[in-house]
Amino acid sequence: MLVRRLRFPKTLSTCSIQASDIHTQHYDVIVVGGGHAGTEAVAAASRVGAKTLLITQKIQTIGALSCNPSLGGVGKGHLVKEIDALDGVMGRAGDWAGVHFSILNRSKGPAVWGPRTQLDRQRYKDFIQSELLSTPRVTILEGSVQDLLFTTADPEKPGRHKVYGIRLAHGGGEIHSCSVVLTTGTFLSGALFIGQNTSPGGRMADPPSCAGLSHTLKEVLGLKVGRLRTGTPPRIIKDTIDFSLTLIRLPDPSPTPFSFMNTHTHCKPEEQLPCYLTYTTPGVERVVKESSHHNSHIQQDTKGPRYCPSIESKVLRFPGRQHQVWLEPEGLTSDLMYPQGLSMTMPPEKQLCLIREIPGLQRAKICTPGYGVQYDFVCPTQLFPWLQVKSTQGLFLAGQINGTTGYEEAAAQGLWAGVNAGRTSLSKPPVSLSRTQSYIGVLIDDLIGRGVTEPYRMFTSRAEFRTALRPDNADLRLTLRGFEELGCVSEQRYNEALRVQVSLNDALSALKSIHLSASRWKDKLGDVNISETKSSILNGVEVLQYKDVSLQMLASAFPELAGLYLEFSERLKVEAIYRPHCEKQRKEIERMQAEESLYLPEDIDYLTLPVSLSQEVREILDSVRPSTLGAAARLSGITPAAIVHLFNYVHRNKHRNHSKIVGVS
Amino acid sequence: MHFIRGWRRSAAVITAIRSLSVKRLLCSIGSEDDTIFAVSSGQGRCGVAVVRVSGPASAHAVRSLTRGFPAARVASLRSITHPQTRELLDRGLVLWFPGPGSFTGEDSAEFHIHGGPAVISGVLQALGSLPGLRPAEAGEFTRRAFGAGKLDLTEVEGLGDLIHAETEAQRRQALRQMAGDLGRIYQDWRFRLKRCLAHVEAFIDFSEDELIEDGILNDVDTAVRQLMTDMENHLSDQRRGERLRSGVQVVIAGSTNAGKSSLLNMLTQRPAAIVSATAGTTRDVVEVPLDMGGYPVLLSDTAGLRDTTDSVEQEGVRRARQRVEQADLSLVVVDLTQVPSEPQLVPVFLSEHLKNILEHSSHRQQCILILNKSDLSSAEHNRSIQASLERSDDVPAACFLSCHTRDGLEDLLTLLQNRLKTLCGDPLIGSPSLTQTRHRTLLQKSVEALHQYHQYRDVDLVLAAEGLRLGLSSLGRITGRAGVFWQVGSSRSRIDHPSEWVGAK
Repeated sequence: MLVRRLRFPKTLSTCSIQASDIHTQHYDVIVVGGGHAGTEAVAAASRVGAKTLLITQKIQTIGALSCNPSLGGVGKGHLVKEIDALDGVMGRAGDWAGVHFSILNRSKGPAVWGPRTQLDRQRYKDFIQSELLSTPRVTILEGSVQDLLFTTADPEKPGRHKVYGIRLAHGGGEIHSCSVVLTTGTFLSGALFIGQNTSPGGRMADPPSCAGLSHTLKEVLGLKVGRLRTGTPPRIIKDTIDFSLTLIRLPDPSPTPFSFMNTHTHCKPEEQLPCYLTYTTPGVERVVKESSHHNSHIQQDTKGPRYCPSIESKVLRFPGRQHQVWLEPEGLTSDLMYPQGLSMTMPPEKQLCLIREIPGLQRAKICTPGYGVQYDFVCPTQLFPWLQVKSTQGLFLAGQINGTTGYEEAAAQGLWAGVNAGRTSLSKPPVSLSRTQSYIGVLIDDLIGRGVTEPYRMFTSRAEFRTALRPDNADLRLTLRGFEELGCVSEQRYNEALRVQVSLNDALSALKSIHLSASRWKDKLGDVNISETKSSILNGVEVLQYKDVSLQMLASAFPELAGLYLEFSERLKVEAIYRPHCEKQRKEIERMQAEESLYLPEDIDYLTLPVSLSQEVREILDSVRPSTLGAAARLSGITPAAIVHLFNYVHRNKHRNHSKIVGVS
Repeated sequence: MHFIRGWRRSAAVITAIRSLSVKRLLCSIGSEDDTIFAVSSGQGRCGVAVVRVSGPASAHAVRSLTRGFPAARVASLRSITHPQTRELLDRGLVLWFPGPGSFTGEDSAEFHIHGGPAVISGVLQALGSLPGLRPAEAGEFTRRAFGAGKLDLTEVEGLGDLIHAETEAQRRQALRQMAGDLGRIYQDWRFRLKRCLAHVEAFIDFSEDELIEDGILNDVDTAVRQLMTDMENHLSDQRRGERLRSGVQVVIAGSTNAGKSSLLNMLTQRPAAIVSATAGTTRDVVEVPLDMGGYPVLLSDTAGLRDTTDSVEQEGVRRARQRVEQADLSLVVVDLTQVPSEPQLVPVFLSEHLKNILEHSSHRQQCILILNKSDLSSAEHNRSIQASLERSDDVPAACFLSCHTRDGLEDLLTLLQNRLKTLCGDPLIGSPSLTQTRHRTLLQKSVEALHQYHQYRDVDLVLAAEGLRLGLSSLGRITGRAGVFWQVGSSRSRIDHPSEWVGAK
């Protein structure tokens, strides 16, 4: 068995290079932006073998948690597990930096358990930075990108433009590459709002990005761009909070790591920090109403996020209600607390008035005020499933630029864009992930297939085959393919995943080989609730499905058969519960995969397509331009008959579909 | 007896029509940019025939055959000429329906011409000579309407049934279905189920930390239970709608020589079955479709039930028993002269006789006892039997009949019609009935899936939600508005609930 040990992060050394050194160099991949999408993109591109350059405005902010100091949750935790299964950085960083681990949704079934942790901001950043520095083929450059460089498009591939590098701002010259990944987050035409003041920027205390990129995307490439907004709460000085007036929430006594490669977390169980819960009061509502005319962010009607709304919008929309406020630690040594649920944009003096209306915060002091951000996003329907801009060869987008919210969503896209940017630069065909196999596939398919009207957050309900896409089996779903087909997974991780797969299969066959009647099982296992109405014989897996039965019980009854697999007791229990349902769904999954594998030609003109389609359907198809028949079928307003006609058309014209795609499913 | 007539041309025609439904709609179709035309008013000599044209070249067709383009949706009298020979074919009404506001959603036109075969074929030939026009395949107009999203599947099925409804009750039912009554019920259930699912999904996706009330699941439990009750009520309609759509199976059964074939001939008003005094004359099942007071009936005469060594007759008896098994209603014919006249023996004799013919007690409830040959037994005998029947509870509805003199026929027909009404239901009263087995199967699947919700509700909420998802996709497939995947994928309907707002990053 492997000795699994957390890797100790190295300190940030003099890794950055000066722009002047780089002039003549050529990279396979350039990643612009050092947030969660950018760092995963850099790491993934280098893992598939590409020589990669990360350009960021400030090296110190690589891996910074701009908003909440936490990772995972329901749906989001699934993404972290999948990122880890593809050998990404996020899961291991979370295990290193976590200070309060808990699994949400314990009562609702293992398929929707949400692993989550509070993070120590500094530790998280340190881990990410040292990880990137120790990654081979990665160079980091501090600088600002002024523009993209274009050349003639390759006529063999779809797209009118082709990117071949970037031009640095401030006369920094050109850097050439095969692919460019843009992960600019909220910095694309970003504007900060606080009270009635507006200033350009994507994050407080950081310089704004150059306007050149935004202009190029809109005017040169003609991409459809929309505007979204988000916000962050003020940070509160810990010593000024009276925690006795709040409810304490303790972490799980034994922390569960995110990474399949870790058996324990860096933080010892007893060192974990608690969170605290308090509530808003009518006073909060009063302050919001009094200050609303000083609050330009809330007055504008740019689409506000439903899934992490400001306290102003919550109070105005649902008056007379108590809203939860979680006080979360910012780290082991930090003297700040993060009030989750209090994102606000009112003037700083009003922010102080507001928090002082909340139990426990009556004497609290604010260290930095909350603020709002508005930023451009590129409508993601203009992307291929491998996150490349359809009109531009070599240009990939990932993260908030595609209209998502959340660290995990950004990292998942970053990883996938990085894998494909790397592959493209090495002349390998692009790859896509099926929504039948992963939440990352669901995320990307939703984005490119339906577009966004508000910041997109991951939910388990977005996945059709939720019983099969679980946090516990992300390694079996992705790691093997990640190594065998994509080349983005290390051999060490691959071998571990293989070992797990073999052990689980062995264990299930061993359990299946035990056949007893219900009453015999009761004799063997003691007082368990197995219905005897079914006179039939039950095998070990079927018995393990029962609520009261654990693998430990089976192991003590049949030590020679089940005793070998105690390491996997929890996973086996989950497998036993869901396997019959997953098998029932297999046919549906296959049908869906067949639809997914039918690519709709890029150059299809839906408005004049010689098949029987209503004008309405034509317009929907024309505006979204789904990449596969499956994606078309999921669009609202598309009739089944339209899908049949499209299917027939595509089938007839299959030979014309020249772009070769490798589907990963 | 004006309400009895043949309603069924042939079983083959019906089958062909019914196949218009799902399969045909979704099967591969030829080139879709064609403009199609066909006579839409039926075959044969008639006063007026309607020729319909649909597709992009419809306007061209109107221009080529007439002068002065008609205003949209206004009947205009025009001379219709052959585009090449300029020969006058007819004078008739021309209607222009520009898409998408037409039946098919495409540009369409109608030519109302005189119904003589020569006129019709002349106009068809003229249309066929135009480039891009071809004769329509069976059901193609409807298929295009479906493709354009003008009809949902239940409406298409309703339309198919309406075109081919041969009795009044069938027409009423089809019309209601085509108008979307049935589809609306299913849509309403889908909507309710979708709400339940949205609530469960919100409960799953917003963790304990995010302020979602526990009560929400209890509301879902109640709503799902109510939905299951509604669906089960709809399902437990004793197949009324399907029966009305495909005909009520009425079987004539009884001992040999009781007069079964005579009854058949009398009801069909023609010698459909051979009648003789020899026992065992009828050996196979004789089947006649009838319209009885607006209800479609498939009446079958069967071999008399008796133990026999004749292998052909044995097979006949086997078939007769099978037919009785499948029947919606049995007419059990008894030879009155065989019934004992002692009052206390009458019910016992008849019960025993019925048990012998209808082996399952469930069939005995759907049966009419026909005491035949009333002309051969004495009036006194008949009266005493009638009196003892009135006192007895365990003998089903009975009526006296003479196939020879037609005495008692009116009573029998009234009784029959009442039974048919119960079996088919009144298509205009109450909620629309289930009309197709396809719907029944999908509904049953849906109910089953909802059982899964309750089964797993407290064990594993994910599997419970899976039940709701499955139920929803089965319901969606009835109207064909949604398939499995695009259904489930959009289950997150936007509910404006505070819980939706309170999310962590």
